[in-house]
Amino acid sequence: MKLLAIFVLHKEDDRKVRILQSEFNLEGIGYFQQRIVRESLVFSARTVIERTALGTRRSVEAYQNVNGKKNENTSVRPDDLASVIVHASVSPDGLASVIASDSEYPQRVSHTLLSQVMNDFTNTYPFTTWVQMEEQTGKLASLSESLRIYQNPHKADPLMALQKDLDDTTDIVINTLVNLKWSW
Amino acid sequence: MYQEARHRWASSTIKTLPTSTATIVETLEPFPYPNNINNSPSSSFFLPLTTMSNGRDRTSEFQTTVKNFASRKNGFDGPHPAPLNRRQHPQSPVEQRGVFMQQAKRIGHDLSQTFMKLEQLSLIAKQSSLFNDKSMEIQDLTLSIKQDISNLNRQIAQLQQYMQDTHGSKSKNTQAHSNSVVFVLQSKLATMSNDFKQVLEARTQNLKEQKSRRDNFSRNTVASSLTSAPSAINGRPSVLFRDESRTTNGGDAVIDMGSDGSRNSSMRQQLQVIDETDTYLANRSEAMQNIEQTIIELGDIFTQLATMVRQQEELVHRIDANVDEATQHIEGAHTELLKYLRSVTSNRWLIIKVFAVLIIFFLIFIVFLA
Repeated sequence: MKLLAIFVLHKEDDRKVRILQSEFNLEGIGYFQQRIVRESLVFSARTVIERTALGTRRSVEAYQNVNGKKNENTSVRPDDLASVIVHASVSPDGLASVIASDSEYPQRVSHTLLSQVMNDFTNTYPFTTWVQMEEQTGKLASLSESLRIYQNPHKADPLMALQKDLDDTTDIVINTLVNLKWSW
Repeated sequence: MYQEARHRWASSTIKTLPTSTATIVETLEPFPYPNNINNSPSSSFFLPLTTMSNGRDRTSEFQTTVKNFASRKNGFDGPHPAPLNRRQHPQSPVEQRGVFMQQAKRIGHDLSQTFMKLEQLSLIAKQSSLFNDKSMEIQDLTLSIKQDISNLNRQIAQLQQYMQDTHGSKSKNTQAHSNSVVFVLQSKLATMSNDFKQVLEARTQNLKEQKSRRDNFSRNTVASSLTSAPSAINGRPSVLFRDESRTTNGGDAVIDMGSDGSRNSSMRQQLQVIDETDTYLANRSEAMQNIEQTIIELGDIFTQLATMVRQQEELVHRIDANVDEATQHIEGAHTELLKYLRSVTSNRWLIIKVFAVLIIFFLIFIVFLA
């Protein structure tokens, strides 16, 4: 369950898409494939946002094999390809964010993270500077932080953490009950 | 108005002429109007009065009816002759009042009709069953209600404009009355729009519940929803940024963008849009429900634990009581033994008695038996 990358983009009026910031976490991928994967992730982020209307969110599965070729949304799925899921969310103001993760990462957590990233970005950079921002300027410090923290969704996402605590508590209580049964 | 009436009459005859010539000819009348009023192209439509075998001459009735129509419909939503009339005969204050009242009456009538439609819509939207889907009717009703609302808006604006135009020729009371009439109409329209919005919100709520109930029967995993074929699931229009509770604002955006809150894609979107906002929200609500369920189960388990512990309470009490009793008894025994020990160790007379008995027995057994 890994997060591969977080992007923050800006989409102008259904036409141009500019990547404002990005963070990558490609540790599990071999050194020589990292550059290819990075470029393909950037491309897929840009493409998905170009095709997503304002004010919507979606998750798209992208197949890629180790050579770096990519097919998006094909109905035939070869078995030996790894797949990357691109979660995208575009706000009505034109701000967009994209998260690339593997297929096991829960969708809900990634969308929560998308909303959080957009909120942080809006709080840090005011609304008026979005249109003028060049590509890849600035670094939102919390991006890499959240990328790191959310590698383990069970701890990071509040809902999942709560669920996990509850499950642990249930186990403990059931064990106690079982131990209590010795009396009869 | 006369001209228009003649147009209508003449055009209807032209349409029906090919089908049944005989009946048309019977009821056709010449137009005995003086030609100096209006030079109309309809003068070519004068048909001669042929032999009327079994018809009646209702010319006079027709003329009186036309006169009635002309006097009644002298409002400002008539076709082109209306401004002509107004320029030719400037209306007296009484006529203005009449016109105003008629228009207000018309608006009120339309309002009541739209209210009925809205009630119908709310009834249909509230009843929700998984199989009896009435979305077509709902959409039709919604569209018609929307058109009615915009029409009413326009009419009320016209009425207000008319009131402004004829401002000078009225007394204070009539002005106040007109103001209040327009105000009442506007407030009624506002309440109706509010109700409409609420009905749409209820409808979206219903849709959500239906969807979740449908999901209960067909388990739809996240992975399959990701790779499902693109389809126009929901063209839910603009979502306010930074607002987590998107559904509560869906109604506002719906009215503004001119689309209804159900499954139509909005009118400005030409493509089919896959918007998984509601999937995401459904997932979140599902997760919350799971957590709630887990908490409830946990509470249940705790209750069971408490029950079991309480059942064992009685046994524990008995054990406690027995242990206390045993302790007491042991204490008593210990005390008695101590007493006896003291009495035994501190009694010298007893030693002499014990030795005397011993010696006697010794003497008896040794001396008399040896």
